Amino acid sequence: MNKIQLLHTLPNVFEGRIDIVSDIWQQDVTFEKGELYLVEANSGTGKSSLCSYIYGYRHDYQGQILFDGEDIRKYSVAKWTNVRQKHFALLWQELRMFPELTAWENVEIKNKLTGFQKRKQIEEWFDMLGITDRLHAKVGRMSFGQQQRVALIRALCQPFDFLLVDEPISHLDDSNAEIMGRIMTTEAKRQGAGIIATSIGKHIELEYDRIFNL
Amino acid sequence: MKLVWKLLRQHISIPQFVGFFFANLVGVVIILLGVQFYHDFQALDSEDSFMKASYLIVNKKISAFSTLTGAQQTFSDSDVANLQKEDFVERIGAFTPSSYNVRARFDVQGLANFSTEMFFESVPDEFVDVSSDAWNYQEGSTQIPIILPKNYLDLYNFGYAQGKGLPKLSEGILGAMKLQVQIAGNGEVGNFDGRIVGFSSRLNTILVPEKFMHWANQQYASNENTKEPTRLIIEVNNPADERITTYLQDHDYETDKEKLDASKTTFILRVIVSIVMVVGIVISILSFYILMLSVFLLVQKNSTKLENLLLIGYSPAKVSFPYQALTVGLNVLVLILAVVIMCVVRNYYLGMFENFFPDLQAPGIMSALCVGLVLLLIVSIFNIIAVHRKVMSIWKRKD
Repeated sequence: MNKIQLLHTLPNVFEGRIDIVSDIWQQDVTFEKGELYLVEANSGTGKSSLCSYIYGYRHDYQGQILFDGEDIRKYSVAKWTNVRQKHFALLWQELRMFPELTAWENVEIKNKLTGFQKRKQIEEWFDMLGITDRLHAKVGRMSFGQQQRVALIRALCQPFDFLLVDEPISHLDDSNAEIMGRIMTTEAKRQGAGIIATSIGKHIELEYDRIFNL
Repeated sequence: MKLVWKLLRQHISIPQFVGFFFANLVGVVIILLGVQFYHDFQALDSEDSFMKASYLIVNKKISAFSTLTGAQQTFSDSDVANLQKEDFVERIGAFTPSSYNVRARFDVQGLANFSTEMFFESVPDEFVDVSSDAWNYQEGSTQIPIILPKNYLDLYNFGYAQGKGLPKLSEGILGAMKLQVQIAGNGEVGNFDGRIVGFSSRLNTILVPEKFMHWANQQYASNENTKEPTRLIIEVNNPADERITTYLQDHDYETDKEKLDASKTTFILRVIVSIVMVVGIVISILSFYILMLSVFLLVQKNSTKLENLLLIGYSPAKVSFPYQALTVGLNVLVLILAVVIMCVVRNYYLGMFENFFPDLQAPGIMSALCVGLVLLLIVSIFNIIAVHRKVMSIWKRKD
C-alpha cells in the first residue's frame, strides 16, 4: 500500500455544519508511504473518528477514503484482515490491550499471528522503554503510561506500510516519549513505511514532512 | 491459538455446559436406542421376510354345514369390491391355485428320497418381499423359485427326521438343494427344477411366482375357466385397527388370529418407539438450544476481547474457531458416550431376547451409528454457522 487518500471526507455527525475549518475534513488529502505526518486536533474535532475510518471499523462518513485508489468501503473481510496483518499498524488511543494477559502475552498474541519480530528485538524494546521488569505482569495491573509502551511494541510486531499512532505519548514523560519516537522512526525507516501521528496538544517530536490541523 | 484460547475461555460457565452435556446425552441416547431397538425388533419380527406385518390372509370360514351343503367357499368379485371399499384396506391380491397336477421329489443327502403330490399357489408379485431377481420366472426356463411353509421344515425336522434318524436340515442347506418338479395336465408333462428361496411362517401354501402360475395354467390346465380365489391377501394400513376384526366377523371371514395379534403388537410397539424417539429429538433440540444460548452469552461477555482480536488482525474464522471447536468437541463427546451407553443397554435387552429367540440374528449397530453421525453433522454445522455469524455481528457492529 503506497497511498492513502481522503476525498472530501466528513463524519456524518458534522453534516450541515458550515463552520468547519480543517486541513482534512472536506479536503482532498493524500498520505504517502515513507513520509511522516502529524495531525493536530482539538478535542471534538473527530480525531478518533478519523483513525477508525482509515482502519476500516467505522463507516459513518461522507466522501471517500482510498487505499492505492481503491475505495475501502468495498473491502472484503479477508482484505481487511490482510491489511491489518501486513500493511497497516495502529496504536489506539484507548490501547485495546487484554488486561487478563501479561505484557509479554499481549505482544505475543500479535507476533504469533504475524511471526514478524524476533523475541530478541521485542525484549530489546521492552528494555529501551524501561518496562523489562513488567514483562510478566498482567497488563490490567500496569499504569496507562506503561500500557502505552506495551501497545507500541505490539503495534510494531507486524509488517506495515503505514503506522498510525493516536496520541501515543499522552501519558509519557519526555524522555520516554523521545525513546518511543526513536523506536517508531527506526522501524518505519527500516520498512520504508509512513507514520501518521495524532495529538491534542502534546505531540511526539519527529521530523514531520507535513502537519495538518484537523 | 493457545493465547487466544486463554483469552476466550474467560467467562465459560461450567454448569451451563455440564447442563447441556447431560441434556444432550439423554436426548441422543434415546434417539440412538430408539433406532437400534426398532432395527433389532425388526430382526425379531422379520422371521418371515416374505410378508410384511401389515399383510393379512383371509379366507371364508369352513364349517361342517358349508361342507355338507357345498356352499361357496370362494370370494366373488363383489366380495372383493366390497372389501376394497373399506378404509383399512390398502390393496388386495388374490391367491391363484394351480389347475394341474404337481409331483415333487427330492433327495436328503442320498439318505432318503421323498416324492409327493402337491399343489402350487401364487399371489401378485408385489406382495412377495423377495428381491425381484430371486423371484423371477423366465418363460421357457426350467427353474422355478418356490417359497415353502416353515411348517413343512418343522414337520420334517422334528417329526420325520427325528423318528427315522435322518439328519436335520437348516433353511440354508435346503435352499441349496434342488426340488425336482413334474407338472402334468392337458396331456402334457413338464420337468422343472424348484429353487427354494425361503420359508414362510405366515403363508400356509407353496408359493410360486405369478408369472409362472399364469403360464403353467395356460399350458397344463385342462379347463381354461378361471376359478374364483378361495383366499385373499390384503395389505392393511394399520393391523391394530378394530374395524378389521369386526368386518371379518360380520362377513364370516377368517384370518390367522395369532398373526393378527402379532401384527398389532408390532404396530403398537413401532408407535411407542416412534413416540419415544420424538421425545429424544425434542430433548436434543432443547439441549441444542441451551448450548447455543450458552455460547451466545459467552460471545457477548467476551465481545470486547473478540473485537480487539479482530482489530489487531485476527480473521473472524480464527476468532470463531475456539468456540466452534468447543461446541463440536462437546457434540462428539456426547455421541461417543451415547453410543457406549446404547451398546450397554442393547446388550442387556438382547440378552433377554435371546431367551425367547435363540436363532436371533441381531443386526449391527451401523444404522444407529449412522443416525448418530448424521445428527452430529447437522448439529455441528449449525453450531459452526451460528458462532461464525455471532462473531461477524461483532465485526459488523462497527458499521
